[in-house]
Amino acid sequence: MQEKANEMIKIFIDKEPVEAEQGTTVLKAAERAGIHIPHLCYHPAFPPEGSCRMCLVEIEGFPKLELACSTVVKDEMKISAKSERVVKARKAVLEFLLAEHPLDCPICDKAGDCKLQDYYDEYGLFESQFKEAKEKREKKLKIGKSLILDQERCVLCTRCVRFLKEVTTTQDLGVFHRGVHSSVNIYEGAAVENNYSGNLAEICPVGAITDEDFRFKTRSWFLKEGESICPLCSRGCNILIEYHPGFPRFEVPKRVYRIKARENPEVNDFWVCDRGRYGYSYLDEHRADKIIMNKIEGENVLTWENISEYLGEKIKRLSSAKKTSGIALILHTWLSNEELFLLHKIFKDDLKVEKIFFADLPQGEADGYLLTSETSPNRRGAQEIGFDIKPVDLDALASGTDFLLAFGPFLSGLFSPKDLKAALNTVKRKVLFSSYTHELNSLFDIVLPVALIAEKEGSLTNVEGKVQGFQPALEPPGESLPEWKVLSDLGKELGIDSKFYSELPSPEAILIEMGKKIPFFKKKND
Amino acid sequence: MIKALRYFIEIIRGSFITGRHFASNFFFRCLKVLGIKTKRKGAETIQYPEQRKEIASRHRSLHRLMTRPDGKPRCVACMLCVTVCPSECIYVEAAEDPDPEIQKYPAKFIIDLSRCCFCGFCVEACPEDAIRMDTGNVELAEYSQDDMIYDLDKLIR
Repeated sequence: MQEKANEMIKIFIDKEPVEAEQGTTVLKAAERAGIHIPHLCYHPAFPPEGSCRMCLVEIEGFPKLELACSTVVKDEMKISAKSERVVKARKAVLEFLLAEHPLDCPICDKAGDCKLQDYYDEYGLFESQFKEAKEKREKKLKIGKSLILDQERCVLCTRCVRFLKEVTTTQDLGVFHRGVHSSVNIYEGAAVENNYSGNLAEICPVGAITDEDFRFKTRSWFLKEGESICPLCSRGCNILIEYHPGFPRFEVPKRVYRIKARENPEVNDFWVCDRGRYGYSYLDEHRADKIIMNKIEGENVLTWENISEYLGEKIKRLSSAKKTSGIALILHTWLSNEELFLLHKIFKDDLKVEKIFFADLPQGEADGYLLTSETSPNRRGAQEIGFDIKPVDLDALASGTDFLLAFGPFLSGLFSPKDLKAALNTVKRKVLFSSYTHELNSLFDIVLPVALIAEKEGSLTNVEGKVQGFQPALEPPGESLPEWKVLSDLGKELGIDSKFYSELPSPEAILIEMGKKIPFFKKKND
Repeated sequence: MIKALRYFIEIIRGSFITGRHFASNFFFRCLKVLGIKTKRKGAETIQYPEQRKEIASRHRSLHRLMTRPDGKPRCVACMLCVTVCPSECIYVEAAEDPDPEIQKYPAKFIIDLSRCCFCGFCVEACPEDAIRMDTGNVELAEYSQDDMIYDLDKLIR
């Protein structure tokens, strides 16, 4: 099978010649050619089930209509995906599916993304011929920490049952009873309690399983989506961030409404864990949006335009007095490869700074599938760039440090406020790059608001050493800027290797430069 | 000099037009009062605000939100009115109703009348017949713009 997989054969879909892989199914071949065959139960992650009967197609030489999701293509197969017979059959299937469907789209969170709604719009638009009243079922059944099941809306595609059987192997859901009484349910009140339960709401083609986190918050058609990478562990799952662009006259309560998985067979397939899915509050809560100046000499008002000049002057003064040992750096591994590379180049290669520490969140627990124990996204990248990842040593920091550049809000979680304050008070000048308004900010002279991973461009190295680029999905709030901009300006300002920094206008250019210096990043570039 | 003369000529012409309208309206109005049917009716002056013209049944006036028999709003916060509103003057925030048959109700329903263009699309889009524009209230002037923002309390009556 595997050997034949790459052999291409020719099939005809609606008289159009289409190239298809030997051994693939009609539905996959059509999808590859850009022809959408409606389906509800088929999901590319699972073997075909064939229960919804929406993907019926006419194949020349077959007496009956065949299922596109499970029929394997043959050379010279002639398929019609839109013939009169097919459309009639799909209408009939839809009518049966809708016979028991409550049509409560106005209160259904799936409305807008619902496949049943889309197909009814495309094929249906008929009056129901059923005179009988619809079956009453459970409309609001809590089946997991954040899942609500509406049995009336369910079309019994069993995607959820198969997901729990094949991906999480926990088998928490099953189809109970027979015939018109069949319904999906949990066993004996044992709720779906795994770290991937949020995916159920996403793969449900109708609104049967909905997410309590998103429940009634907004309607899906108001949301826009941006592609990003989940930074909550070192797996680097590809995600879609769905955010509300806002109404012109009214303020919306939140910006980011939900996270969805973005397909990537090399990293996270179609899934994202619940930690990544529901842990998006870091994007909106307590965000810093202004430059804060707690202590500054003279009339100097700092803006992003003169910040690199200011920092450059302080560093130059120390380095010309041969006192670079007075410079300390506290980094974290939420920084992108490019930013860490610039930091390494400026402070380690050019200035020979010794005191470089890393302040990250403590390790969590891995779940054996996607979630890793590492709670920051780019530790591997920092290692590959050549950083020796040392935890923060307050005594070393307090002894003879004149200038401290700190990144991130994580420092406060590692030490008691008293110790931290005592150590930081010994440092003459201290600058913090942080995305949050935090009590930690009051300990620093200057706090610069910076963009988060979802708001900037760059790349991350995941735990397996895969370098993944990302583009901004959201606008950074207020005055926030990405760190790499400040760092490349600072590099230019210091004048040690200014030619090098002047040719780095974007993270992309930095990554190419990195490939030249560090072989690890070279192979990923090609 | 000649320009000024033309100005007076126009004034005289204008008063002739006014006079003609007055005479024809007076004539046709008298015929109507006397019960003689004619094609033209002749304009009538209504002594607003003491006297008011009857509003047509399909006239679009101030919105109201309909209620269920128990007094709860009929609205299910589906936000189709928010979506369809061309002047983007409606804002709805949904909340969870304990009754599984209702499930969703509007915690906030705000119409900014200072922006509303009275197109009636919200009424047409509503799947629950929860919003209507049949109150007959067309006198919506307020002293401040904030008073033009109508919330649930003002819309349910």
